[in-house]
Amino acid sequence: MSTVTRSSRPRWGLTVGGALLALAFLAPYVVMLLGSLRSSSDNKATPPSFLPKVWQWSTYADVLGDERFLAWLRTSLLVGLASTVIVILVAVPAAYMTARYTFPGRTPFLLLVLITQMFSPTALVVGLYREFFELNLINTYGALILTNAAFNLAFAVWILHGFFSSIPTEIEEAAQLDGVTRWQSLRRIMLPLILPGLVTATIFTFIAAWNEYVVALTLIIDDSKKPLTVGFRSYVTGYEQNWDQLFAASVIAVVPVVILFALIEKHLVGGLTAGSVK
Amino acid sequence: MRTTRKSALIAGAAFAVLFAGACGGGSGAGDASGDSASGGEEAKTIKLVAAEYSKDNTKAFWDAFAKTYKDKTGYTLEVQVVSWDTIDQQSSTMIQNNQAPDILNLNAYASYAKDGLLHDSDAVLPDNVKSDILETFVKYGTYQDKFYGFPDLSSARALFYNADLFKQAGIAAPPKTWAELEDSAKKVAALPGGNAGYALPLGPEESQGEFSMWLFNNGGAWKDGDSWVINSAKNVETLTFLKKLTDAKLTQNNPARTNRADAFDLFKSGKAGMVVGFSPLAGDLDKDKKVNYVVAPFPSNDGSESKTFGVTDYLMAFKKPGNEKAVKAFYELYYQPDQINTFIEKEGFLPVTKTGVEKFQSNAKLKVYLDTLPNAQLTPTDDPAWDKVKLAVQQNLGGAMTGDPKAVLDGLQKTAEASK
Amino acid sequence: MSRTTTRTPRHTSSGYAVGRVRPLVALAWLAPALALIFGVVLFPAVMLFQASRGEYSITGLRKGDAGWANYTKVLEHPDLGTVLTNTVIWVVSVVALTIVISLGLAQFLVKNFPGRRFVRWAIIVPWAASLVITAQLFVLLYDFNYGLINHALKSVGLIETSIDFLGNDSWTMASMVLVGVFVSLPFTIFVFIAGINAIPDDVHEAAVVDGASPWQRWRQVTLPLLRPALLVATVLNVIYVFNSFPIVYTLNDRNPGYLHDTTITFMYKLAFKSQEKDVGMSAAAGVINVLLILLVVAVYLRIVNWREETR
Repeated sequence: MSTVTRSSRPRWGLTVGGALLALAFLAPYVVMLLGSLRSSSDNKATPPSFLPKVWQWSTYADVLGDERFLAWLRTSLLVGLASTVIVILVAVPAAYMTARYTFPGRTPFLLLVLITQMFSPTALVVGLYREFFELNLINTYGALILTNAAFNLAFAVWILHGFFSSIPTEIEEAAQLDGVTRWQSLRRIMLPLILPGLVTATIFTFIAAWNEYVVALTLIIDDSKKPLTVGFRSYVTGYEQNWDQLFAASVIAVVPVVILFALIEKHLVGGLTAGSVK
Repeated sequence: MRTTRKSALIAGAAFAVLFAGACGGGSGAGDASGDSASGGEEAKTIKLVAAEYSKDNTKAFWDAFAKTYKDKTGYTLEVQVVSWDTIDQQSSTMIQNNQAPDILNLNAYASYAKDGLLHDSDAVLPDNVKSDILETFVKYGTYQDKFYGFPDLSSARALFYNADLFKQAGIAAPPKTWAELEDSAKKVAALPGGNAGYALPLGPEESQGEFSMWLFNNGGAWKDGDSWVINSAKNVETLTFLKKLTDAKLTQNNPARTNRADAFDLFKSGKAGMVVGFSPLAGDLDKDKKVNYVVAPFPSNDGSESKTFGVTDYLMAFKKPGNEKAVKAFYELYYQPDQINTFIEKEGFLPVTKTGVEKFQSNAKLKVYLDTLPNAQLTPTDDPAWDKVKLAVQQNLGGAMTGDPKAVLDGLQKTAEASK
Repeated sequence: MSRTTTRTPRHTSSGYAVGRVRPLVALAWLAPALALIFGVVLFPAVMLFQASRGEYSITGLRKGDAGWANYTKVLEHPDLGTVLTNTVIWVVSVVALTIVISLGLAQFLVKNFPGRRFVRWAIIVPWAASLVITAQLFVLLYDFNYGLINHALKSVGLIETSIDFLGNDSWTMASMVLVGVFVSLPFTIFVFIAGINAIPDDVHEAAVVDGASPWQRWRQVTLPLLRPALLVATVLNVIYVFNSFPIVYTLNDRNPGYLHDTTITFMYKLAFKSQEKDVGMSAAAGVINVLLILLVVAVYLRIVNWREETR
């Protein structure tokens, strides 16, 4: 069905449905956007109003001019990107090997991966703190990067394993008969085919790292090394509420991720899977 | 076969790099921990974990403080500013790993003193500083005859009322008794627009604070001497009165599930007649300029003199080898009037020292709190059991609004007596 | 590239192995993954287990060995039953709703229509916005006094007085589930989109030639071929939702006790917020958590015949 419609004419009727769907997903964030454009107390007015009483654009200048916010943003981007690169580099060979070859220990390895997926860093934060202290990695980006890479690896291996498995083996067998090495086969034949899987794994890892909260909270000491998730906490506390700044900061933080996704999504459409088999 | 060997080599190399990296980090750790704390050597660097009172001021103050500290004493102060809602976790994790900071800023200290983790004032607090701290705070900072809980700042609660709503409801003066308070709440609640007469936060954030204010003003207490009196007749009467306000719908919706910040929000949006507040709330209200409010002493049940519920947070010093001198120098500097009072003023709280009280006297806005501060009543922070009882109160007190006040207080009394 | 043998990929979902390799070669390919798993996941887990066997003071100071006492205390906790029930309701409803809705939406989002790319971008937003933020945002949306949801419902006349979505016990769980589904949808939808796109074209063409209706084609061709994606989406969502912390914690923060807590927030509160305030108990609860999710996933994989999937 997908393929049939893929080759068929675009349908404008569906666009209406798509717009409604987009609206449903965006609605809360529109409220967030509007919340960033009104004063903090206006966010807690009764009865609430949908549109700001006074449009207050200065909040964005405040947030963007805030060194602390920029540092948090930098940390989140750095940690997110580095963990994603590590995860992809480590997961692809593992997923390929387990999906394509049999060897003693294959099933135990897959089980191990599945089991690690069940550990959440939140639960293990005490152990992580202790370990990173021994490694002298408390208060470093390295600790956050390693943690995010390790806890998202299982997902990446699994999803890539699923994608590798879904590709007919005949393609590779033929290539190997032609004398292509395993490494070349992975790079040239398989990777283009599993691009949607790679994209999913990339986005998932990046966003999971981007969202991680408890470990960063515990391991990071310097304010300037905190990621956004931890930094956000400073905007609304028991003692002061800066809802406008919180929402403005959130809006700014969502933008790079959506851009990243937009870039990758185009890739996904371009190199579509089975196309290369034809 | 050649190909497999090659790929094995590549992957093996990748593993080696990763492994070597981990080892490198490991050996680095050994060096670093060597100079930070071990042995009998004097510590040159100490670490402060400070609670974040406000986004703009707290960190700025401590950073500037660290600089002055370095200039004046030669010691280095590492500052970590932590949000209130996570500081419990941070401090607990550090202590589990034997990584306590040298100085920790928290709202409790007695359990830490009980565990033998803290320096007392003899070791680290200059004598002139100790004699400058208000006696009330010395008293509540003392555990088993030793002073451990050094206050960083304080706050005192008072009744905030919305003057416009009061005027609209035809209330001439703020209530002096609970009966008057109930009456005022009735009148405000009867106004059109669905206002709460009295905003009552009994949610888990800080219900012990709200309840303290009420029970002190009914002549009650948490503890009498060495014994807990949580379920005393007076306290049952107090909680029953709160239930009565709730049942009569004189409060906001669902007080048992309302946190303090939400009650403040309600007052700030002009939808509540009265609330128990403190100076940071006044600061917010002044900033918003939306609500015409007045601060008054909290009424007592029978009209006798109002009592204030006071709160201090603490800067406690952890025993770590060789850190006494640097820690003492820290307190010496922090309690300099131009340091501590600048901090307190910026954050909008109240002083903890005699010199501070004098300095703030000139501030008319603070007078209502300052007058009561030396006689403020605190929760029993000097009893380690309180650290547990407080949590039990936060989790259970609200239950009385839909249940039996006496049963709830009986339960709390049992918890308190069990946690020796 | 050779293309002679790929006319009808009959067994695409089961992924036949190309061949055998020697253990050492396989180890080399898996080594980086093993290093991360052992070094940063399992080693801290051992430390967690150690913590669960210790007796801790309220300050976090380790006072000595507790044996299995922490486990006994957790298992005898009066609220454990409530917490477990909540966890089951939370996980099952969030995952089931997420999977069903995502299947439909993914099917829609692979269709070709102008602006599709923008719709896909819109869908990523709940996922891109950090959970801490989304949870906080929904607290405000749900609010009894200032919330736009209540405001909107009142404006259109559906309700007369506000609903206390987060403070009223009969609404709290439903309100949390809604947010849980909302933030789980993007990921799941994209797993399914990727899965649908990975299905070779000719499979469908053959079905069309056979004259199958769209529903039959979906039911008999697409769905079976989506098995790997479904498996991944279900297992991961179960784990992910089970371990989800910010939503339950933030939306439930006004409610006393453990009335609406799941095992993860129960564990956190045991350590830092409750009257127990006991790291050892919390660690024991953490170990029990891990065992619990292991059990659930094992049962699930047994049901779907995991070994066959990966062979």
